[in-house]
Amino acid sequence: MRRPPAPWLWLLAVALPCAVAALSLGTPYVPAHRLPQVLGGDGLASVVVGELRLPRLVLALVAGACLGAAGLVLQEALRNPLAVPEMLGVSSGAALGVAAPLVLSLSVPLAVQPFLALAGAALGGLLTLAAAGLGRSPSAVLLTGAAVAAALQAALLVLMVLADQLDLQLIYRYLLGSLSARTWDDVTGLWPWLAVALPALVLCVPVLGVLRLGDDDARALGVRVGRARVAALGVTVLLIAPVVAVCGPVAWVGFLAPHLARRLRPGADAAGLLGYAAACGAVVVVCADLPARLLLAPVETPVGAWTALFGVPVGVALLKWRTPERSSPAPAPGDRAALRKAER
Amino acid sequence: MSAARTAAPVLRRGRTGTRVKAAVLVVLALAAGVAGLVAGPAVTTADVAEVFAGGGDPLARHIVLNLRLPRALVALTAGACLALAGLVLQSALRNPLAGPEVTGVTPGAVLGAVTATGLGLAGWQSPTAVVVAACLGGCAGAGLLWLLAGRERGDPEQTAVHGVLVSAVLTGATAVVLLIAPGELGSVVQWLVGSTEGRVWRHWELLWPWALCWGAAAWLLAGPLTLLRCGDEQAAALGLDIGRARAAALACAVALTAGAVSAVGALGFVGLLVPHVALAVFGADLRATLPGAALLGAVVVGGADAGAQLLSRALAQALDADRLTVPVGALTTCAGAALLLIVARRRADLR
Repeated sequence: MRRPPAPWLWLLAVALPCAVAALSLGTPYVPAHRLPQVLGGDGLASVVVGELRLPRLVLALVAGACLGAAGLVLQEALRNPLAVPEMLGVSSGAALGVAAPLVLSLSVPLAVQPFLALAGAALGGLLTLAAAGLGRSPSAVLLTGAAVAAALQAALLVLMVLADQLDLQLIYRYLLGSLSARTWDDVTGLWPWLAVALPALVLCVPVLGVLRLGDDDARALGVRVGRARVAALGVTVLLIAPVVAVCGPVAWVGFLAPHLARRLRPGADAAGLLGYAAACGAVVVVCADLPARLLLAPVETPVGAWTALFGVPVGVALLKWRTPERSSPAPAPGDRAALRKAER
Repeated sequence: MSAARTAAPVLRRGRTGTRVKAAVLVVLALAAGVAGLVAGPAVTTADVAEVFAGGGDPLARHIVLNLRLPRALVALTAGACLALAGLVLQSALRNPLAGPEVTGVTPGAVLGAVTATGLGLAGWQSPTAVVVAACLGGCAGAGLLWLLAGRERGDPEQTAVHGVLVSAVLTGATAVVLLIAPGELGSVVQWLVGSTEGRVWRHWELLWPWALCWGAAAWLLAGPLTLLRCGDEQAAALGLDIGRARAAALACAVALTAGAVSAVGALGFVGLLVPHVALAVFGADLRATLPGAALLGAVVVGGADAGAQLLSRALAQALDADRLTVPVGALTTCAGAALLLIVARRRADLR
């Protein structure tokens, strides 16, 4: 029997054409074979490619990777395939933190914005976890999260009603998650945050593997489950907040990417999935940015609208029609049966 | 043993109690309406009384009779519609979490209305088209959830979770439509959160026949719905055509929601939580509970409208900003989210 090609080949096969298309399509059109030459040279085309399209592509990759990894950490930590940042009030909280000073016309330096997003995201996530209780059934956590997210959304909408027309356009685009007109400054602002978040992510991965066994087993192995969950939430908030501060909550990438990763690497543990979840997230955002930028040109649509439109149905489909022989015998999070069992 | 038969003597015994409760609610609804009339800025309570006595200066007359009165009436009627829709949905699907917001009906209706406005098919000049588009959108949203939920339709919490996913998709679609046709983003945003700002007699004239017609339909369905609440098998054993009754109930709920959404926008959590309160107050016999839920919804939204006006007045004074208005939807959503948190917490404790 022939071995199927390695999963990362699939990812690369999708990512490379998308990346090339992201750099070459648009006005002016730069053919793919001229890209290296244009990047090195100068002139209008090279400014457009080097100063606009390339940072946008890098930002899409980084944002997608962060969101994908954050989604995986949350899903594994809460052992719930639907525990995504959007469902837990984390994204809405972060967005609220960034949008509030914008509307109330307080001038905030660019470097402080991630801190505001961080505070908002932590508020949303902690509110959900505190209200739902840590060790409760997955669906109770989700319902509570939906309620918290709805309340935060209502606060956001109130802010939008208060804003004037010009601000409103900006805020609405931002709230949906948009990558338009981001430059290298935005990208470089992300690195210090990643430098903090990545080691934290690596440190929390082994604990995630233990949490997957179930609360009782994890406790028997000496893991303090409640603290581990809060720590995982903290890592998630660290990953999401800077991304939201720069390009808004690109919705549902944290839902789709881990499920794609599980489909690519069936039966892998949290450590094995993490890289794939990040890669899938990056690919998803880069792919979604293409229609966002080009489909309705010259009008740009926010990338978050596209990830929500297509990400949710695809994610649900992956969740439902998961082939039974591929799923691991242990109750992997993502298993529909496990979800139902956990609810009882 | 049918619940309808056991409910009958209980109802007879509790009839006076029900009447008292209903009378209290009517009084409360009137109070909410009056509060909505006097709560706004610039016209004092004495002015309002003078206008209704037939006097008052022209400006006050215009404000009270042409702006405040239709606004209060629209708020009361829309609240009644949403509460009825919620109760009908929850009974027909036997799912305590099946509010119109959760089953994709409200987001779908918003999408339909926004699309119709964005494509230029409808506007304030042709409000009927908005209602029709909202209806179509509501049906589409409910259908989407039906497809998505698949075999897990029976599980209330799964359905609610899937409903959130459906809402996410529909919200994404709404966003795309809004940004393609960004002309009236400001007014549309008020619609997304649910607002009674600037509702005039035109809206009321459009809303009340629709509400009356479908409200009557819901009341006619009270008997079958009570049976459906008892379970499919019992209802079938009593000779009810389950499929047809459920389809009629769903159509009724979608129509009621669409009417309310096209009038005041997506008011959060009214359709999800008011039916629970109504059931707690009036009991499981829907022949009494349906009108009760309508009254209760009117009280809640009318009261929230008055509260929002008071709050925006207080905020405007405190912050010294003129254009500060708190939309009703923000109040209902915040109150509803708080209630839902408590309920979820209690359900989790029960397990």
